[in-house]
Amino acid sequence: MKARIAFGLIITLFVLALPTNAGGKEQLQKYFSNTAAKVKATVNPTEKRAILNESFQTMSGALDKVEGSGLISKDDRAGINRFKSALLEKQDELAGRNGYLRISDEQLNAFSDYVVQDMEQADLIISISLITLLLIAIVLILLIK
Amino acid sequence: MSTLREPHNRLWKGIPYAVLFVSTCAALLLWLPSCSPSLSIHRTAPLVENDSLPPEYSIVCIIHGDNDYLYHDTIGREYIADAEVLAEVKKVAQQNPRAEVFIFRQIPRRHFLFFFPLHDGEFSYYRNGLLVAHELYWRDQDHPRFGHEVELYSRFHADNQRERVSMFLYFGHEIPEMEVAGYDASYPDRMFSVHDLADGLKGFTRDSGRFNLFVLATCYGGTPYTVGALGPFARTMIASPGNLHLSYFDLRLLEHLDHRLQDKDVPAFAARFARQAFHRLISGIQTEVSIAVYDVDRVQEFLHSVHKDYDHTLTLWKGETGSSMAANEHCDCADLPAYVMPTMHNGVEIFYRPARFGRSTNKQNHSGWECWMDKGRRDEPLQAPESGIK
Repeated sequence: MKARIAFGLIITLFVLALPTNAGGKEQLQKYFSNTAAKVKATVNPTEKRAILNESFQTMSGALDKVEGSGLISKDDRAGINRFKSALLEKQDELAGRNGYLRISDEQLNAFSDYVVQDMEQADLIISISLITLLLIAIVLILLIK
Repeated sequence: MSTLREPHNRLWKGIPYAVLFVSTCAALLLWLPSCSPSLSIHRTAPLVENDSLPPEYSIVCIIHGDNDYLYHDTIGREYIADAEVLAEVKKVAQQNPRAEVFIFRQIPRRHFLFFFPLHDGEFSYYRNGLLVAHELYWRDQDHPRFGHEVELYSRFHADNQRERVSMFLYFGHEIPEMEVAGYDASYPDRMFSVHDLADGLKGFTRDSGRFNLFVLATCYGGTPYTVGALGPFARTMIASPGNLHLSYFDLRLLEHLDHRLQDKDVPAFAARFARQAFHRLISGIQTEVSIAVYDVDRVQEFLHSVHKDYDHTLTLWKGETGSSMAANEHCDCADLPAYVMPTMHNGVEIFYRPARFGRSTNKQNHSGWECWMDKGRRDEPLQAPESGIK
């Protein structure tokens, strides 16, 4: 019986280790990459804009929920705020607000790539702890479904 | 009936024990040799000691892979940057019949059955296009950080008297200028800074003098501080003053060095390398692309002029941790009056294209030097974007 428990425990640990290794950052990167793929698969510029906008808003919503959960540290809260500011700037640029010229219809595909690349290389996400990133990824999945 | 089934039941009960026993034995077999302090080398081809073919080129390559290096291309395909670079460097090694190539890949720490640590470094040595040795090794946990890499280098380095062209390539995330934790995902408390890499370079150059070319494929490598710290170990340096996307530099020019670098004019080769890398990056990258070539001796005057200001900025930030450190922003040194001097452009060749979107699309030039925005400027309210202003 003890051997069975030990054996089961090992298998369980293997299974539990998988999502932890996958990491929250990877999920967030994948989220923006999927958005870019959807934008490129759409012909209508209005729909492209809607996809990008919805993507930014959903991410901002997830960040708000995690920030308001009271489960995160002061450092992570500051990191989330910087992340939100960066998202807001991209929303402004997309819509042509706060001094930005509106992204033209022809540039929307390139803009979606820019968002992916900027998020991949920026230290915005790096400054947030792995646990908080995982939390954001989980909330994001729940919001999308 | 029950007595007949008992041996069968015993057999089933024994299976988990057997599995555990076999797993433990396998783990011990893997683990025990790895605890050995000596670095045993698995030779895949005999070492060529033919004096008629001494390597004319020597390349040392360190690939940091112990962190998140995932990126996506423009059609959404996923890549792991360190794995991509490894494949490219191996190709470089195979395509150089007159070179020795050392490849060190720093990989995440893993465990067998959760308890038995596995090696966190992978070493390959190519000579004259052939893989001579391949070995998994342990990275040094204390100072010097690159002690084991230097040891392997010293053991294999071809000791021929003939003068050769030497190169050092480092691929990874931005190397912190001050000691901070978190560079290695497997060792979150481990501190790392540009001085640790400088210590490693000291070991690599102990016998052979400065590298002819040093390629620093990281974000924000082109700062006065980083070039100042790593410059003494190289004559020519290539680095990015800004963000360098994880697709890194194009390494194809390093193949067939016997043709491409026949004249041994390394500075001219470095400029060609930077130009080719730049053109490859701008073809698919929408964010800023900047690659600079530094003539290390010629930039010294500028570095001496600005080091006090730069050190002062870093000193102000000592003790900052976590998000407060991450909130510090970079900028072109040319945007800071203290750094604008006639010597600023001496010895620097810059290939630059601004980001296609965002706040800096109208910034048409870059000095080739990246600095930290001082706190006073940083705390000012954000100006209207330079680009796309109505």
